Amino acid sequence: MEIRKFVFKRLIEIIVIFFVILTVLFLLFRLAPGDPVTRMVDPTMTPEDAAHLIAQLGLDQPIWLQYIYYLKNFFTGNFGISFHYGVAVFSIILNRLPNTILLFSTSILLSAFVGIFFGKIASWHKGKKTDTWMTLGALFCHTLFLPWLALIMIWIFGFNIGWFPLNGMISPEIWLDSSSGFWLKFLDVAHHMVLPLATLFLIHFGSYLLLMRSSMLDTLKEDYILTARAKGLEEKVIRNRHAAPNAALPVVTSVGISLAFSLSGGALTETVFSWPGIGRELVFAVSNSDYPLALASFLLIATVVLISNLAVDVLYAYLDPRIKY
Amino acid sequence: MTENRSIQISNDNKRSPKKFPTVERFLEGWSVYKENLIGKIGLTLLIIFAVMAIASFFTPLIDPMYHPMTGVDPDISHSTSPSWRHWLGTDFIGRDILCQLLAGARIAFMVGISAAFMSIFLGTIIGMIAGYTGKVVDTLLMRLADMIMVMPTLLVVLILSSLFGQLNIWTIVLLIALFRWPGVSRVIRAQTLSLKERPFIEAAKVTGASHFRIIFRHIMPNVLPLSLLYMTFRVTSAIIIEAALAFLGFGDPSTVSWGMMLQWVWKTGHMFQAPYWLLPPGICISLLTLSFYMLGRAMEEVLDPRLRKEIAQE
Amino acid sequence: MALLTVKNLSVGYHTRKGFLKSVQGVSFSLDQGKSLGLVGESGCGKTTIGMALMGLLPDNASVTDGMILFEDQDLLKMSKKEIRQVRWKKVAMIFQAAMNALNPVHRVSEQISEAILAHDADISEKAAMKQVESLFDLVGIPQDRMRDYPHHYSGGMKQRAIIAMALACHPSLIIADEPTTALDVIVQDQILSAIKDFQNKLKISVIFISHDIAVVADVCDNIGIMFAGQLVEYGRIEEVFDAPMHPYTKSLLASYLTLDKDVVQLNSYIGETFDLINSTTGCRFCERCSVAEATCSLVAPEWVEISPTHKALCYQCK
Repeated sequence: MEIRKFVFKRLIEIIVIFFVILTVLFLLFRLAPGDPVTRMVDPTMTPEDAAHLIAQLGLDQPIWLQYIYYLKNFFTGNFGISFHYGVAVFSIILNRLPNTILLFSTSILLSAFVGIFFGKIASWHKGKKTDTWMTLGALFCHTLFLPWLALIMIWIFGFNIGWFPLNGMISPEIWLDSSSGFWLKFLDVAHHMVLPLATLFLIHFGSYLLLMRSSMLDTLKEDYILTARAKGLEEKVIRNRHAAPNAALPVVTSVGISLAFSLSGGALTETVFSWPGIGRELVFAVSNSDYPLALASFLLIATVVLISNLAVDVLYAYLDPRIKY
Repeated sequence: MTENRSIQISNDNKRSPKKFPTVERFLEGWSVYKENLIGKIGLTLLIIFAVMAIASFFTPLIDPMYHPMTGVDPDISHSTSPSWRHWLGTDFIGRDILCQLLAGARIAFMVGISAAFMSIFLGTIIGMIAGYTGKVVDTLLMRLADMIMVMPTLLVVLILSSLFGQLNIWTIVLLIALFRWPGVSRVIRAQTLSLKERPFIEAAKVTGASHFRIIFRHIMPNVLPLSLLYMTFRVTSAIIIEAALAFLGFGDPSTVSWGMMLQWVWKTGHMFQAPYWLLPPGICISLLTLSFYMLGRAMEEVLDPRLRKEIAQE
Repeated sequence: MALLTVKNLSVGYHTRKGFLKSVQGVSFSLDQGKSLGLVGESGCGKTTIGMALMGLLPDNASVTDGMILFEDQDLLKMSKKEIRQVRWKKVAMIFQAAMNALNPVHRVSEQISEAILAHDADISEKAAMKQVESLFDLVGIPQDRMRDYPHHYSGGMKQRAIIAMALACHPSLIIADEPTTALDVIVQDQILSAIKDFQNKLKISVIFISHDIAVVADVCDNIGIMFAGQLVEYGRIEEVFDAPMHPYTKSLLASYLTLDKDVVQLNSYIGETFDLINSTTGCRFCERCSVAEATCSLVAPEWVEISPTHKALCYQCK
């Protein structure tokens, strides 16, 4: 199987990249000015607890052994104790991960689909009013400053009109009430998600629209589009069956490339909307010098980026029959 | 959609020989550029922001209270709405918002252009070396590029600032540059690969030119327009990263940037009370990035429409 | 009755530098089952004629004069919908395989059956697939390669697939635009004989468009030589080859030698491309012509009939 080989190759690459990131982070944490012990062990801990943690993290060992401990701890999910929360970092990030994935994947998928759809339409009306307005609108949305857009969203729709909650992910009164059913809880989360989702959507969909538009315009110049026309096919069929699948390929690649960018945006969105995800946890940890939490959140985000990259590669290989590695 | 099928006319040989090819090329490019609506809007906006940045040097000369950082209106100790004394109002300790806005333009230009310049410099050199040498060096450099490319720059800088403490503005600029070169180097590498096969490079080799000379005398002039184009896109990303960093509270505390202003309005709880304070910095960041982006897109059409695909992915 | 009659066709393109008159006053006709070759260098307007016949001229093109009568109907007066029904059903096209004429993301068989399904509302997908199978047999591609993607095919196979596609709806006219360019000589020969073969078997009229006079020599009944947007010589193939009248035809024929079917093409054309925007009234070839006289560049040349089936656009032929 060609595709299987291709994916396998990418998987190996991604694992190597991940190890390099792990190692670089390890070195940074050891080489940065200051004592690594104070960085990993909460200064307010009792001496016994601290000694136990130091032994567990291998901080009293020579540096190469520390590295072994570090890798072992990483794969067993032992990231130390959060200074702020006072509990194991792993349980915190495990708790936050689904929230991030929910917001992140919904926003990426939604903006990609809508962007591709409207990009297709814009390219079809090239040079006409529809196209001009769509392009300008997309350019405008694409360059909006994300945190500011988030604040404006809250200000308008949360504060002034009051349609949506100002922040958070759930309303405690609903979740604490044992009589609330699944759908009520679901709707509650959806209600909280509208504004952050809309923010991310507006920022991302413009770039997909522009990309799909220019990709479509290139594709429409291809010879096989002429063939399709010569065959007497309807314009709609030409656009949807012959041009769009080819034009979407570069867009899929770009989803992969822009994932890192999207996650930065995700962290900003989570922070402004107090959405309990990894990105917000990272910003919070960095602000409060909660090093174990910061390290773990960053590693987890890096993992998410790499896995999504792999997913995009698989999707690409599936869409483009020419892939043969 | 059909330009490719329309017939190309070749009457180039009828033109008189040019004395100043660079100037000619620029004028030719300019004549295409000024046809472009998006390009014109972008350039106009950019000029307005440049005027703002220049104006920021003069406000403290009018009255010390118009200094963006230290100038506090002696009569005001809280945020006030626009007035004759303060056209855009004041912030929570009585500093003039308009002055901060002007100073922000200066910082944004400074950060954007210097970070973009550095990343383009790095990206072009690395791309040319990778493309020209090929083999192991190429593989290693490109893997490194891949690796850096998948890292969210903003979050990396966040982690670094947590480890190394408060970063000053130049460190931030340097970090942005260090993490934003891979995209450029990929494109330059591809361009170098195709240039390498051209006869004039062969000819240079035959006449005994050194590798150094071939790279810098023969390849570089041909990839520079592409680098310049990329620079406009890098400026936007640098401005956005710096602003986001400042917004999260990790900016350089000795500078007033638009991101910083947004952080103040957000953290001091004025976002629902003071639209005159909330709106301007965000509009400025968005419009400045928009104008650089428009500039880039218009330049792209001048240089070569075929480049579109690679660049749009940024 | 002629299947196709082109009368005084003129087509131009709106370009940034002005209105480019790509085809001017071209007339010819073609009978059922016959073949015509249009020969000329690139930019002479031969492809534009092909595209005009298909109704596929780009947006910046406009037909300024003339008519295209196909089965007694003017193709130029048809609505977009009508012309779409003529395309492929009546007039099909063979594209150059070196072009990306096949869509890379669809299977070859799907692309052929698509044409059948588009023009026959009653046929089932299964029946269409059956037809595709027999088409593959006809052009000589093994049936087990049907479901491959285009990138799995060699150049020659792609060209065969394109021919199969052109035959899918049993058209009465096929326009073959540079059907063998960029194929190696042996494959070229195979493709040409395949086209000749089905043309005889199925009684299809074919218009060959080529820059290579040798290709046309092998397969056509009639030949039209084009220069700078005009037809300059037209006649039965023997007549034109045995007694070329127009100086351009003479130079074309002189620049290729036939060495027992293997073709060597010598490009000995001199001079620049003709300026189609600021064209003068005189003969367009006179700058490159060896027998031109002073009047040639001033007075428009007229058609000279050498025989009822052979004519040339040149004063010197008289």
